[in-house]
Amino acid sequence: MDFRTCRSAPFDELSEAMHMAAVGDGMETIYERFSKQQPQCAFGSMGICCTLCTDGPCQITRKAQRGVCGASADLIVTRNLLFKCAQGTAANVYHARNVARTLKAVGEGKADYEIKDEAKLRAVAQSFGINANAPLKTAAKEFGAFFIDQINSNDYDPMELVRALAPKKRLAVWEKLGIVPGGPNSEVATALSKSMTNVNNDVTDLLLHCLRLGIANEYAGLFGITTMQEILTGTASPNEGPVNLGVLDPDSVNIIMHGHQPLLAIKVLEAAGEKKWQDAAKKAGALSGLKIYGSLCEGQQIFNIASQYKDVFFGQIGNWIQQELVIATGAVDVLAFDYNCVMPTLSEEFAPKYHTKLISTDKVIRHSGVERLEFEPEKAKEIAERIIEEAIKAFGKRGAVNIPKIKHNAVAGFTTESVVSALGGSVQPLIDAIKNGSVKGIAAIVGCTTVREFQSGRHIAGLAEELIKRDILVIGAGCCSSAMQNNGLMSADSAKKAGKGLSSVCGALGVPPCLSYGSCTDIGKIIATAVAIAEALGVDVPDLPVVASAPEYMEQKAVADAFTAVAFGLTVHLTPAPPILGSPNVVKILTEDVEGLTGGRLFVEPDTGKAADAIEAHIMKKRKALGIKG
Amino acid sequence: MKKLTVRAERCTGCKRCEIACIEEHSGAKSYGTSVKETPAPKTRIFVEPVGNRPLPLVCRHCQDALCVSACMAGCMQKDPVTGVVTNTGHEQKCVGCWMCVMACPYGVINMSLDSAGTAQAVFAQAVKCDLCPKRGTPACVEACPNEVLGVEEIEEGVYQ
Repeated sequence: MDFRTCRSAPFDELSEAMHMAAVGDGMETIYERFSKQQPQCAFGSMGICCTLCTDGPCQITRKAQRGVCGASADLIVTRNLLFKCAQGTAANVYHARNVARTLKAVGEGKADYEIKDEAKLRAVAQSFGINANAPLKTAAKEFGAFFIDQINSNDYDPMELVRALAPKKRLAVWEKLGIVPGGPNSEVATALSKSMTNVNNDVTDLLLHCLRLGIANEYAGLFGITTMQEILTGTASPNEGPVNLGVLDPDSVNIIMHGHQPLLAIKVLEAAGEKKWQDAAKKAGALSGLKIYGSLCEGQQIFNIASQYKDVFFGQIGNWIQQELVIATGAVDVLAFDYNCVMPTLSEEFAPKYHTKLISTDKVIRHSGVERLEFEPEKAKEIAERIIEEAIKAFGKRGAVNIPKIKHNAVAGFTTESVVSALGGSVQPLIDAIKNGSVKGIAAIVGCTTVREFQSGRHIAGLAEELIKRDILVIGAGCCSSAMQNNGLMSADSAKKAGKGLSSVCGALGVPPCLSYGSCTDIGKIIATAVAIAEALGVDVPDLPVVASAPEYMEQKAVADAFTAVAFGLTVHLTPAPPILGSPNVVKILTEDVEGLTGGRLFVEPDTGKAADAIEAHIMKKRKALGIKG
Repeated sequence: MKKLTVRAERCTGCKRCEIACIEEHSGAKSYGTSVKETPAPKTRIFVEPVGNRPLPLVCRHCQDALCVSACMAGCMQKDPVTGVVTNTGHEQKCVGCWMCVMACPYGVINMSLDSAGTAQAVFAQAVKCDLCPKRGTPACVEACPNEVLGVEEIEEGVYQ
């Protein structure tokens, strides 16, 4: 592959076409901005640039082995890493808190949401001593309130969520290491205090704190988000739908729900199904009425439950790198976004150019000049209707529309429950398939896409394709799912791309060889599946023939998620290299020594083929240790 | 004469050399305030991405400098004593034809341009490395944290 040419263009043909169109319109996209940033400073990318105090910024150089304060490369790298991990944890927990608040409001009768998964609510509520016979609303209110209390609890008391939910074998490991976390907000605050100038220079302690945050991130973040969202939106079920930029309809009022929190989106979907809004859209001149689409993780979450909204949900746009390209189609009337992964250029350059009306719906995200309709559980329906009204208004202001003609489909909607039900009620058939070798193991390919090195999706799709050829089942989440969907690896007929064993299993179950679990916050569900398999086998998570991979990791939530995976004992493939290469000691701890503590470790491999080799080797090693035939 | 040396494999792409060059050739001698000067000072050393690695591009102060031959106004000159190729001292003659920019095989001549809010260029001048005549060691060499840039005395015309 020619490295230089693959840097300057998107990977899939629809994005490529829209990129050329946007550039033709005189727009600068993320691809051009990336080129203009080259070369980027290696002190930053190796993690040995410290900008904490005014004696700095300091860098570890050939001339200077310590910063002005005396911090070594090891310390600077670790502090920088802990910051990122804390920021990622804080963001996931913020999301979980919003969902908990909504659940509580539903329980109090203040918010107009149904409880769609009663059994799930009853089950989790019961684990925390909430009366199983209490009315459903009371259980919702109490569990929501309990969860918010857990988020706000102190770090000197271990979190009850961890004590009650962690697998016993894992809990024993964490207790031995002293990394059972307390409340996540408190843990984040402690992490920030520890990483201040002249406070802590114990690299091991700082890295163990990253693991604490990783565990807090799982239980107070990812687990909470997934569980409570499924209680309110319904549990994911497999369904097929259209994906990528070609899904947009030029003859309808188009609303894209973009971001990470699907609770407002389901209200928009419900309202869009009402005849009055469809009629209003048609009256405004939109022949095919009003259509709702999902974008990035919010889209993945809607896609997971799309069988409930077949008549108004018309597809998943794509990963975060495609957000400028979708606006450049000129066919997006409203893009409503909540927190995370919204480029500043949307409001400053793209929306004004292409008529799109932007609406921000979460208090942490503010774009100047953009209308704010901030989500409150009590006002969800009202906000949803305002969004639709604005879209119908914006439809009349459209200019030229340029939508790529190609359309394709993918299957989404997998979760621990739906995998189990596809398997006929237990994980046993999957375990049998692993035992007889038709499925060698499982690789979870999760996280962001990046424009660095492999241009948004090239590495993800390449790695997934290589792994399924080797009979390794792939589970995708977040923008990785989008990259696989856009490249035909999650379509109903993609089983033919898999190796003999895996394709026969997929054929028998009627599932693709790459299963989409949904958004990046659904990584918690992947861990739940791994735990379910480990418990069915009577082993610990690190013993499983399972690898996690973030082949195009980009931002801070992914750092927190990587530590979650390592704390759970998973081997994690990361690319691009995290900013730790400036410290050989930290590299050694995270890629080798930590395996002796939690059973998990990181490894970095930018080459797709070699990464697949390493993942397969790890899986074969674990198979052998479990006594399963190679 | 003095020549800049480059150990490219050590370069991290931090661009401190570019900042030091801009500071040295600004009135304020400070990057933060110099960016507001008119005309804005421009770097004369360039850290460019080459084959996925940063590479500092520096003026070689060529023996038969093509920029000197290309300069129609005669402001680009090679000093017969120091060997430095520069337009310093003759800049007022520069008409901004940019033939030196075209001729330079290393791409290390920058254009200082200021239209002062009008459509016409009121100030146009080629700027290039002058090896910092007011300092012992060029600013970029001093600023380099990884000893990528160096300066050495060589006898011109002798290949080592």
